[in-house]
Amino acid sequence: MTEPGAVRHAEHAMGTVFSFDIRGAPTRAVTRALADAVAWLHRVDEVFSTYRPGSQISRLGRGELTEQQCDPEVAEVLELCRAAARSSDGWFSATPGGRLDPSAVVKGWAVERASQLLHDAGARHHSINGGGDIQTRGEAAPGQPWQIGVAHPLCPGDLTTVVTGRDLAVATSGTAERGPHILNPRTDRPATDLASITLVGRHLTEVDTLATAAFAMGDAAREWLRSLDGIEAFAVTADAQAWWTPGFAAYGWCPAGQ
Amino acid sequence: MTAVPHTRSGRYVPRHAPPPARRVPPEAVLVVVYGGAVAVLALWWRHTPSVVGLDGWLTGAGRITGLLAGYACAVLLALMARVPVLDRVVGTDRLARWHATGGRYTVFLALAHTALIIWGSSITARTNVFDQTTTLVFQYQDVLWGTIGLLLLVGVGVVSARAARRRMSYETWHYLHFCTYLAVFLAFFHQLSNGEDFVADRPARLAWYTLYLGVAALLLWNRFLTPVRRALRHRLRVAEVHPEAPGVVSVHLTGERLEELRAQPGQFFRWRFLAPGQWWTANPFSLSAPADPHHLRITVKEAGGHSRAVARLRPGTRVWAEGPYGAFTAARRSSSKVLLLGGGVGITPLRPLFETLPGEVTLVYFARRVEDLALRSELEDIAAVRGARVHYAIGEGAGNSLPLTADALCDLIPDLASHDVYLCGPPGMTEAAKSALRGAGVPRRRIHHESFAF
Amino acid sequence: MNRAVAATTATVAGLFLMLALKPHQTPAAAAAPPAGSAPSGSPSGTPSAPEHDRTSGTFTGDTISTARGPVQVRVTLVKGRLTTIAVLKGEHDEGASAHAVPRLTQEALAAQSAKIDAVSGATFTSQGYISSLQSALDRAND
Repeated sequence: MTEPGAVRHAEHAMGTVFSFDIRGAPTRAVTRALADAVAWLHRVDEVFSTYRPGSQISRLGRGELTEQQCDPEVAEVLELCRAAARSSDGWFSATPGGRLDPSAVVKGWAVERASQLLHDAGARHHSINGGGDIQTRGEAAPGQPWQIGVAHPLCPGDLTTVVTGRDLAVATSGTAERGPHILNPRTDRPATDLASITLVGRHLTEVDTLATAAFAMGDAAREWLRSLDGIEAFAVTADAQAWWTPGFAAYGWCPAGQ
Repeated sequence: MTAVPHTRSGRYVPRHAPPPARRVPPEAVLVVVYGGAVAVLALWWRHTPSVVGLDGWLTGAGRITGLLAGYACAVLLALMARVPVLDRVVGTDRLARWHATGGRYTVFLALAHTALIIWGSSITARTNVFDQTTTLVFQYQDVLWGTIGLLLLVGVGVVSARAARRRMSYETWHYLHFCTYLAVFLAFFHQLSNGEDFVADRPARLAWYTLYLGVAALLLWNRFLTPVRRALRHRLRVAEVHPEAPGVVSVHLTGERLEELRAQPGQFFRWRFLAPGQWWTANPFSLSAPADPHHLRITVKEAGGHSRAVARLRPGTRVWAEGPYGAFTAARRSSSKVLLLGGGVGITPLRPLFETLPGEVTLVYFARRVEDLALRSELEDIAAVRGARVHYAIGEGAGNSLPLTADALCDLIPDLASHDVYLCGPPGMTEAAKSALRGAGVPRRRIHHESFAF
Repeated sequence: MNRAVAATTATVAGLFLMLALKPHQTPAAAAAPPAGSAPSGSPSGTPSAPEHDRTSGTFTGDTISTARGPVQVRVTLVKGRLTTIAVLKGEHDEGASAHAVPRLTQEALAAQSAKIDAVSGATFTSQGYISSLQSALDRAND
């Protein structure tokens, strides 16, 4: 049973599911923007999927194309990757394991762009969950901020914390469903210190990228994350301990006391 | 009378019947079992401050039935662990009956527990029962194993129903029944990882581990290690197979240090003959002569594939004997006059009792035809030596020379009501005999009967 | 057959009696956990918070099991919105810098009327989505 005046839609793309949740009575412009957002996601899939040998990113990776020959979005994404690698001192990499794979940036970036499409069409209060990475705008209901649960990486079906806020982006990096697919770029072996790490910020592109880097870093990410402005984090280690950045308590539940 | 009885082959056999002693009644064991159940319920009581709402009632009942089912599984296994003291106090056949009845009740408890927990927790979680079942089975620790254990337990229960058992051989049923070990093992873990009464209570957890490990130790020792130890120590072998009557043979076994088995007249062993095709079965046969440090004898009637195979055993075949079992011994009696009532091959445990029971003993032997009277010459020898009476009752059912009625029995034995009666034979005969004896005034506690129909 | 009926009836009566003899209201919200006798977080659900959005206050909830043993949790609501969760020490004492990872079961959330709008987690595939919490939310609101 939907809240009065809300639109929900789940779209399969990029091998995962994107859940749209638009609050407030939808206008025609918003309905059109939703369709555009869905088309956008599929377009991104076509261009960036590393599972399709014919996608631009795969051909670029094999050297069949140059960056200039690709769509401008490809260049934009690759520039974001380079900036992330610099900022994280190499812990984020667009070429994990030697293959060109900017997927860690692409999903969050695509969701943030889709969110902008909706926002520009007048949907000021919405949430888009792309395979676990979430961009929200506005609030869930008048006077009520969004409440985003964070899945417990060790106890499937349970949550470990809840993040609350307005205009929030939440991204979680971890091994939970697909196994250790995030490689430590220094060793090219799966990252194993952490079971999962959740980052909270305003822009999903940034938050998603940083979460991937932080996960690869493991326990060492704690110091690095503290130094980043506007980003808070909550981590669950492989041996079932939890740590968080000092500012996290402003957004999410955490055990009281220190 | 201190005449010395001897077996047919002339060997000296000392009398070793213990005087009738005050026995521990079997009910004492039941008291202990129920006491444990009360302790388990007290555990629930202690951990439950309140019961709130329909879901509280349902999950509360689910927890109680779960605790009882877990306790009952341990008890059921203990009953069948072949613990010597239990066997002596309760008797093998009664233990098996308790196990069967308790087993049915335990399956009921386990199913009730499952249904109550699913229903109650789905109300708390505000989902439907199907989703909640999936959540419980796949997302709660060890519940998947517990579920498999439950299904195995129910499966074994179904297969053990009389209708199903009639359609399969005893061995098949016996080996299927061993799946209960696996079922109990699988179900154990979810009890400790999800049981509310254990989560915050270390002494309770320790007690539960102790209960289960204790039962496991009993099983291991009595059902597995002891038979192996015995086999190595006593080295039983078939010495000779000797026909006694049409379709009836005696098997003589030799071995070493057999007095250590402390087998009493009236008891039986489970015999495993290590011959091709017979390794897998362990058949219960009573000793048909008092045990001797180097010699045992059983007498078997060919009634099916296994007993026929026994008749064809070759001398030298190695034998594993598990036992002795059975409470059908001289220790059961409370009077100095004893009537032994045997029918067909039921004579086997009575024959050594006839030789060794002190006091005044009368034997009545029912058989279809005169040729079917097995061990007849031995019985006559013993009767002559000890001045006891033997009476043969020949004929089929109602055509028998001695009808199984209270009057006929009283005519034969005037002071029947003050006798102890040991009864062994086919089910129809023993049922008739029991009602005749009761009709003649023999109190229930002096009628001793062992049935092999488990 | 009669024995089966008698045994079943006796069991049901016994269960009913034991449950009926217990009090039927939750104990008042406690500041300190009762030693070792709190019901655990696995399906028992004695919700200790009243189900009203406008509630404010502090409530001590069910004992939850973590990898380091059972811990009990105290939550603070402000106008129906959960703001802090305090982990009260369980049987095991942690070092000052270590915290057992909190675990919020669906029962605990339901009992506190927590209204989750979306769930963030490590990337799931389309297959994995079907059994995920997010899909449950999407379906519930379809």
